[in-house]
Amino acid sequence: MKAFELVYVVEDDWIASVVTEMLLEQNEAFGTVRKFTNGQSALNALRQATEIPDLILLDLNMPVMDGWEFLEGFSALLLPKRVPVCVLTSSIHPNDIAKSKSYKEVAAYFSKPLDDDTLVQIVRLLG
Amino acid sequence: MTTSFTSFEHDGAVDYLGQELQVLQQSGGTVLDFIWESALDGVWYWDLDEAAHKWGNDNFWRTLGYDPAALPNQTEAWPAVISPDEVAAVQRGIAAGVADGSHTYHQLVQCAHRNGSVVCLHCRGLVVCDGAGRPRRALGVLVDITQRRNAEVYAREVAGHYSAILSNQSVYIVKTDAQGLYTYVNDFFFERFGADSKIIGTPSLLTIVEEDRPKCLAVVGQCFLEPEVPHQVVLRKPCKDHQVRSNHWEFKGLLGADGQVAEILCVGYDVTLLIDQLEQSKRLLTTTTQQNARLQNFAYIISHNIRSHSANLTALVTLMQAAPDAENAALFLQMLKTSTDKLAETIVNLNEIVTADGPVQHLREPRELRREVDRTLEALNVFIYQSGVAVAVDIPAGLTVPVVPAYLDSILLNLLSNAIKYRAADAPRVALGGYREGGYVVLTVGDNGLGIDLARHRDKVFGMYKTFHANADARGLGLFIAKSQVEAMGGRIELESAVGVGSTFKVYFNESV
Repeated sequence: MKAFELVYVVEDDWIASVVTEMLLEQNEAFGTVRKFTNGQSALNALRQATEIPDLILLDLNMPVMDGWEFLEGFSALLLPKRVPVCVLTSSIHPNDIAKSKSYKEVAAYFSKPLDDDTLVQIVRLLG
Repeated sequence: MTTSFTSFEHDGAVDYLGQELQVLQQSGGTVLDFIWESALDGVWYWDLDEAAHKWGNDNFWRTLGYDPAALPNQTEAWPAVISPDEVAAVQRGIAAGVADGSHTYHQLVQCAHRNGSVVCLHCRGLVVCDGAGRPRRALGVLVDITQRRNAEVYAREVAGHYSAILSNQSVYIVKTDAQGLYTYVNDFFFERFGADSKIIGTPSLLTIVEEDRPKCLAVVGQCFLEPEVPHQVVLRKPCKDHQVRSNHWEFKGLLGADGQVAEILCVGYDVTLLIDQLEQSKRLLTTTTQQNARLQNFAYIISHNIRSHSANLTALVTLMQAAPDAENAALFLQMLKTSTDKLAETIVNLNEIVTADGPVQHLREPRELRREVDRTLEALNVFIYQSGVAVAVDIPAGLTVPVVPAYLDSILLNLLSNAIKYRAADAPRVALGGYREGGYVVLTVGDNGLGIDLARHRDKVFGMYKTFHANADARGLGLFIAKSQVEAMGGRIELESAVGVGSTFKVYFNESV
């Protein structure tokens, strides 16, 4: 039994999402990874999903629907269980960090790049 | 005092006192002596037949600083105390008294004090004639008015001095009555505002710039509430050369005898230069603040964009080092290459942005808007043809804008290519218009294309790296750069848009160079 059976990666940068997926797959705590290139497609998937993810890794700057709008839509969803969101972004803007904390759905804020240490932290925090 | 005194009977009326004094005076010298010595500062008595024969009483000599007892011979002393001119003036006075039949005269006589100072004597004279009516003697009774006269001269000097100060200072001094009508203005005010004395009695409020009048009235109100205390205000007033000057005023309500405010005293000076400089500093501060905010935002965006690539590079290198086989390593190398390419592209974009920022007023040149639009449409000719967009241009010929030519090119290219790129699937149209509005030349670029949901994206439309449609080649830079360029030229850009209906961009080009 893995700590996070299903993980959503919401990230428009193809390389970043592939790298994230690889790292997650190499770590025993994480199971299946589903990638979305913007907030809208992730939100659509959540609305229709039969299987609710155990963790969402969310980028902020994305076209069509960015991370903030995703969080607005996400917090309005009625999900059968609580799904922790970790913001994973290149932004170090203090406003972004402060704004993230204002969402109760956001469990943590991480700066890219994602690495094994960060994954260990996520497991310790949320696993 | 011993004298022959005769008391009069009386019945309560006081006339007897006058009669008594009359008798007393006729009976001896007592009364006259008293008047000579105490009420007068001197008496002289001249022989009109012998010019050198002049006599003055003790008091006269004392008034002029001499000890009468030590004067051996008055005849020798006279020329020292009265000049021939003054003597001649007295003689003219006497002659006039004779001529008009009054035999009296009065005049001011200037004598010389022993210490050299001028003694000013008011002389009332009586011409004494003989039985044949021929003038024989002249009696002069003298009052020393030197002090009073000095005080007058001093007062006149002081008044002149202050009036010169009031007139020559570069301050305005104005007084109005309680109704605000001018009662006094100094020369400097006249000179500066080209007014003349006709201004007295006219309403002071009307000389002030209209927008400032309520402010002026408010301060006058304070003068009534709190009189005798200065109240400050800055008011604008047109000068005689029609330039509007800003003046700093101190208003003070002056109380009349009845304890009510009777006058407003206004002292002011020109602060136009100061105000102008203040405005300039404010503008500079606003620009600097905006620029600073933009720079800081820029720094965060740069950091974000560079960091996102650097994060990928770091992660890829780590993965590559741990790659289980050559095939995997090759895959990572390929990704690494993509990542470095993107980093290079980001840096090229940043260059573009940096050059679009900053004030460029001096580089602006007039350009005919219609011609520039036509040129851009020509450059996009193939793209327009392939996309089937119908373009309509309604910009009056001769409408020119002062622009940085390269910026205008870039703005037109960005807006037009966006309008074509995000066109409607059916019968796509783009319409360009141009007109003047309040110091701006406005360019409108409207389309019936996809539109942007402004309720969601209003604050992001012109942001850096913001894209709103899933379009692979969108960089999210076009509108950001267009906005920076418009603002660098002192203008602004606005957008009206609705999803599925279309977008209209309005670019306001600042006409003032």
